[in-house]
Amino acid sequence: MAQLEVRDLHVVFGGLRAVDGMTFDVEKGEILCLLGPNGAGKSTTLDLICGKTQPTGGSIRFQETEISQMMEFQRARLGVGRKFQVPSVYKELSVAENLSVARSMKPGIWHALTAPAVRRSKRMREILDLVGLADKTEEPAGNLSHGETQWLEIAMLIAQDSRLILMDEPTAGMTIQETARTADIFRSLSENHTLIVVEHDMSFVRTVADRIIVMNQGTLLAEGSIEEIEENEAVKTAYLGH
Amino acid sequence: MTNKLSYDIIGLALFAAVILFGVPAFFGYDGFELNTFSRYLSLAIVSMALALSWGTAGLLNLGQAATFGMGSYAMAMHLKLKASGEGLPDFMGWNNVETLPALWVPFHSLTFTLLAGLLIPAAVGGLIAIFMFRARIAGVFVAVITLAFLVAFQLLVIEQQGFTGGQNGLTGLAQLELFGWTVDIYATSFYYLVGICLMVALTVGLYLTHSKFGLILRAIREDADRTRYFGYNVANYQTVIFCISAGLAGWAGMLYALVLEFASPTYMSVSFSLAIVIWCAVGGRESVLAAAAGAILVNLAENRLSDVFVEGWHMMLGVLFLLVVMFMPRGIYGVIVDAGRALRRKGGGDAEEPAYDASLKSKQEG
Repeated sequence: MAQLEVRDLHVVFGGLRAVDGMTFDVEKGEILCLLGPNGAGKSTTLDLICGKTQPTGGSIRFQETEISQMMEFQRARLGVGRKFQVPSVYKELSVAENLSVARSMKPGIWHALTAPAVRRSKRMREILDLVGLADKTEEPAGNLSHGETQWLEIAMLIAQDSRLILMDEPTAGMTIQETARTADIFRSLSENHTLIVVEHDMSFVRTVADRIIVMNQGTLLAEGSIEEIEENEAVKTAYLGH
Repeated sequence: MTNKLSYDIIGLALFAAVILFGVPAFFGYDGFELNTFSRYLSLAIVSMALALSWGTAGLLNLGQAATFGMGSYAMAMHLKLKASGEGLPDFMGWNNVETLPALWVPFHSLTFTLLAGLLIPAAVGGLIAIFMFRARIAGVFVAVITLAFLVAFQLLVIEQQGFTGGQNGLTGLAQLELFGWTVDIYATSFYYLVGICLMVALTVGLYLTHSKFGLILRAIREDADRTRYFGYNVANYQTVIFCISAGLAGWAGMLYALVLEFASPTYMSVSFSLAIVIWCAVGGRESVLAAAAGAILVNLAENRLSDVFVEGWHMMLGVLFLLVVMFMPRGIYGVIVDAGRALRRKGGGDAEEPAYDASLKSKQEG
């Protein structure tokens, strides 16, 4: 049984078939990269899995539970985490508070009422060290640089500890060194987490991807390892247009 | 945010010292002067309650006066029954109501009254909240819906004259008897009762804002969608803070009915509800302490100025609100926080680490 099973997934936006009959599996611990030209339906596929968009048809099974009709927060509680294209940290909250929100193993109100806003745990320290924000814990996230904001978001994903992490262009706006460090973090994450990554940076994809799915016009165009994809004629046609 | 917590605890201690010791000493323990002040304190509770929903969770409740009014009516109904002895309350006779309505019967009991003044507003607030927040209504629409509820509820209270005393409200109330102690509102002990109630409310408010619950509410205020993807049930969080805020408003209403010795539909008027927003904004909606102080300061000013400018006072209040919104959107609290930061920067010469400086400073002072 694969950890995530997507079967014949459809969504229609005002007549446009944004995702049209996607079927794929993701195994536990795998890093799957979604590629494709603009408007291919990559981000929409992530939206459908995390619950931002409701599908018009098809099924999504996560750890043998049908999740396609669940609310976003219920899917998140099952272990589906999402990083968005636009950095979405809480700008008015401090770095430590951002991480505390992200540490959501107990998202219920009773726990929230009895816990302090920020609990300084060893795990939190480790995460902050990992992303290099240990000396900025009290800084409001709005004061961080673009790169630091990206790091904070990755730290939040690690703190959230979702079993399946959906990432939309995680390295956008990063320097080459930062991208390389992100790739390292991703590789270490995949020991305990499954990742689905939408990414345009091919060198990054080469470093991290176990498997690649190429999408075009809402459908699955090709699937396989990086070598297989690079040799695939249909992919060349879709990208280069001949 | 341990720094912020220690500041808030110092703030609360100072506030308590001023309210419980400073003010009574200033007025020479004179019951009449203190009675006016206990009115401000009860209004401070409803203002801090609004700060919880508006400042922390970003939900502007323009119907705060409705839940405040429910509390005041609960208390007034009990005292009216007490004043009427075995008979019916007088206004019911004038309205051809023959027997005591079932709604009134349980208010013979003091315990029921105290619970009802807290729980009925909370339940009503919660009910509105469930409908609003399940449907993911946010921003200005929350203000519109709660305002509409306020207007409808006030109309209902005025229309149902036989049950509520209509436009006149409930007057001619008895004195409250609390565990054998007859509450004399012109005694200093009454002032302390209201003062302690305010301190308890503020402690509850500070606890909530410093708990993870408060943090999640601030996260929801900034980005509700993002917070959902962390697995938090946003609608539940918003509903609970709405309930708590409404319950505190009801509590304030009970005290207010005691201070003024009557309950009136004017407590549920739009202008009163907007006044609560103004107090909260002037003090600073991010802090329950500041919101409470805002209510006391604006009402003090009103008391002094409305004698001199009977007609012009409301215009001055409006202008004050405009000025605050334009020039100090975070209220007096924001000005103090900014001034503190600027001072530390100047004194410490280290602008990079204000948090470190603050802890150092508080250690030196302590």
